[in-house]
Amino acid sequence: MNKPLFAFAVSLVFAASSLVGANAAAAAPSINDAQIAHIAYTAGVIDMTAAKQALQKSHNPKVRAFAEEMARDHAAVNDQALALVKKLGVTPQDNATSQSLASSAAAEQRKLAALSGSAYDEAYAANEVAYHKAVNAALSDTLIPAAQNAELKSLLETGLKLFQSHEMHAEHLVQSLK
Amino acid sequence: MFRIVIMLAGLLLTTTWALPASAIGANQAQVTHVVVIDKMAFGSMPAGVRAGDIVEWVNRDIFEHSATARDGSFDVGLKSGATVRMTAKRGTFAFFCKFHPTMQATLVVK
Repeated sequence: MNKPLFAFAVSLVFAASSLVGANAAAAAPSINDAQIAHIAYTAGVIDMTAAKQALQKSHNPKVRAFAEEMARDHAAVNDQALALVKKLGVTPQDNATSQSLASSAAAEQRKLAALSGSAYDEAYAANEVAYHKAVNAALSDTLIPAAQNAELKSLLETGLKLFQSHEMHAEHLVQSLK
Repeated sequence: MFRIVIMLAGLLLTTTWALPASAIGANQAQVTHVVVIDKMAFGSMPAGVRAGDIVEWVNRDIFEHSATARDGSFDVGLKSGATVRMTAKRGTFAFFCKFHPTMQATLVVK
């Protein structure tokens, strides 16, 4: 993993962990469902934005098919998340993890924007592997255990399976581009 | 000689009657097996699927999926909410979702 990706992954996991706080063993975690919903939604938006950039920049059919899949899947899960928070009467709440995610992703997008051709394709695919790994760690270690609402927890669990599958697909893409 | 002719005639008659009867029997025995896809997973695979049966793929997930045989025997596209039927052919088919490679299962058709 290169330095920016590593920093991004670390910031994601630590920012998510810090929300849970030192009193994680206490009955009520300090991260609430409104914050969790915001983080999950933000994670989806980031990958959709990356996919849109890939569709603008890449001419590789495999990369484009992967990007279309990312855009389609994350839109589906985010639509579901929006419907759920509306049903629950919860307003997603901005927080340190969402902000960390967004700023790291913006930096990554600027870096990718400077690349083109196969260099871009390879960097995009490698970033997708790293990004999905980082989000999977946050989901399984922090967000899913902390979620209180059963429907939100279930959606996050489906999201984790989705991200794991995307991670594997991204790994296949990296191999196919070598 | 007469006995042989009678036996042959009997055999012919039996065969003539047996063919349509077995064909009708096969149609009547055709079974529909439902495979439900939900929450990023193929549901339990049906047992006792026979060649000529119908396999009905029901995608209850919020994502688009596929049921794609690794040997190329079938490639069923499944948009969210879609139900697609296919006629089963004999064999053991490892298949996966071409969009989500962690989704894998095996269909056995006898």
